[in-house]
Amino acid sequence: MRRMALLLTLAAGLSLMAGFNVPSLPLPTPPLPSQAQKAAEVLTKTGTKAMQAARPLSDAEEYYLGRAVAARLLARYPLYRDPEATLYVNQVGLTVARKSSRPHTFRGYHFAVLDSQEPNAFACPGGLILVTRGLLRMCATEDELAAVLAHEVAHVAHKDGVSSISQARWSEVLTTAGAEAARQYGGGVAGAVLNLFEGAVEDVIRTLVVTGYSRQAEEAADREAVSMLTRSGYQPGALAAVLGKMSGGSGGIFRTHPPTAERLARVRSVSRETAPGPKDRVRAERFQRVKF
Amino acid sequence: MRRYLPRRWLGAVLLGIMLLVVLPPGGWSQSLTVSLSNQQLYSEPSFTSPPVAPVPQGAQVTLITRQGDWVQVDYQGKRGWLHKAAVGGGGPSVSGLPALLGGGPVRQTTQDEVALAGKGFTPEVEASFRQKNPGLNYAQVDEVERFQVDPARLQAFLQEGGLN
Repeated sequence: MRRMALLLTLAAGLSLMAGFNVPSLPLPTPPLPSQAQKAAEVLTKTGTKAMQAARPLSDAEEYYLGRAVAARLLARYPLYRDPEATLYVNQVGLTVARKSSRPHTFRGYHFAVLDSQEPNAFACPGGLILVTRGLLRMCATEDELAAVLAHEVAHVAHKDGVSSISQARWSEVLTTAGAEAARQYGGGVAGAVLNLFEGAVEDVIRTLVVTGYSRQAEEAADREAVSMLTRSGYQPGALAAVLGKMSGGSGGIFRTHPPTAERLARVRSVSRETAPGPKDRVRAERFQRVKF
Repeated sequence: MRRYLPRRWLGAVLLGIMLLVVLPPGGWSQSLTVSLSNQQLYSEPSFTSPPVAPVPQGAQVTLITRQGDWVQVDYQGKRGWLHKAAVGGGGPSVSGLPALLGGGPVRQTTQDEVALAGKGFTPEVEASFRQKNPGLNYAQVDEVERFQVDPARLQAFLQEGGLN
């Protein structure tokens, strides 16, 4: 009896996480022993719904997931605490983020520099964007830095990190729920949610650090980055310029954001040529003043 | 005239009862405290809508209405929407879930567990995650989040660089 109650609670809880309102839940009758079969059917039905709708996390949930991902990354890469560099990267990042398809997130966009020579950048769900000194040194101008940050903002805006959470993870939790959540997860419902959270963090980290996003996600992020550059007044060709420098590299961002010839050609085709303006020199000069 | 008085009294009593039923416990001017930093009032219940004004952590706002995950509030004469998580959850409690599921036995699961499952990834889940993974660097995450660019300074940055 107690087990059944726990299972029903878990199913209902996961349905709520998936955005269902309490009144829309298919409410079961009290789970009397003779109605065990019926209760199991309700669980299956609710569980299936939860599984289908489990991916779209709320903005607040995405934020807590992103914090955990960033906490993992910051345990591996130390922060580069130069105040001028931090301010500058945040100013450039916010400039492009304001022109993105998602200008506001739960607690806003924040940019930080990692003290590592490995060229890399990480877009944590919710808007924490970490970029290494190694990658900043590959940028020759503020416009190229803006291109790198715009590409990462686009991954946040498109929720590419959240989408990398394995669909199987949701079903795994629900299957286990069906096969004794309480015993498996010790902590019952709370344990199952924590387990799901840990798994989600792992999935996002794996994508950010090891496997990279899908080719389609990269293309979409490139397209939006060019749009952000154009709308904010940067040279749209800066993305192609910085991608061109990455060709031939290996590891780090070269593995997770592979700059193939095909990708470069596509970016060049969507980047409208803009005549250099008098302010280009101002941006180039202030970029040179920052020590990365 | 005198015989109509009781009816008037009856009307007044009925009106009083109706008001008691309709009004929430604290009256209409229910006050909420903003529990998170970096919060904005939005013009619509959506993060993509234009922000109205920033709201500092600890600010008292007056609740106007609730809609899904959002609360419409008044802050210093400005009206806008805040996510319910910014005002300490603020949404309908899920403590009624066991009753909705119709089973006394569900009450054997702790209220904390039910609340956690209902809210998804929350500060409570983060706390458990941190406890289980002490090697994580949340201190630096907080440091990154605390860093703010002054809007006037950003405006000057844009102007200097010929940006929009």
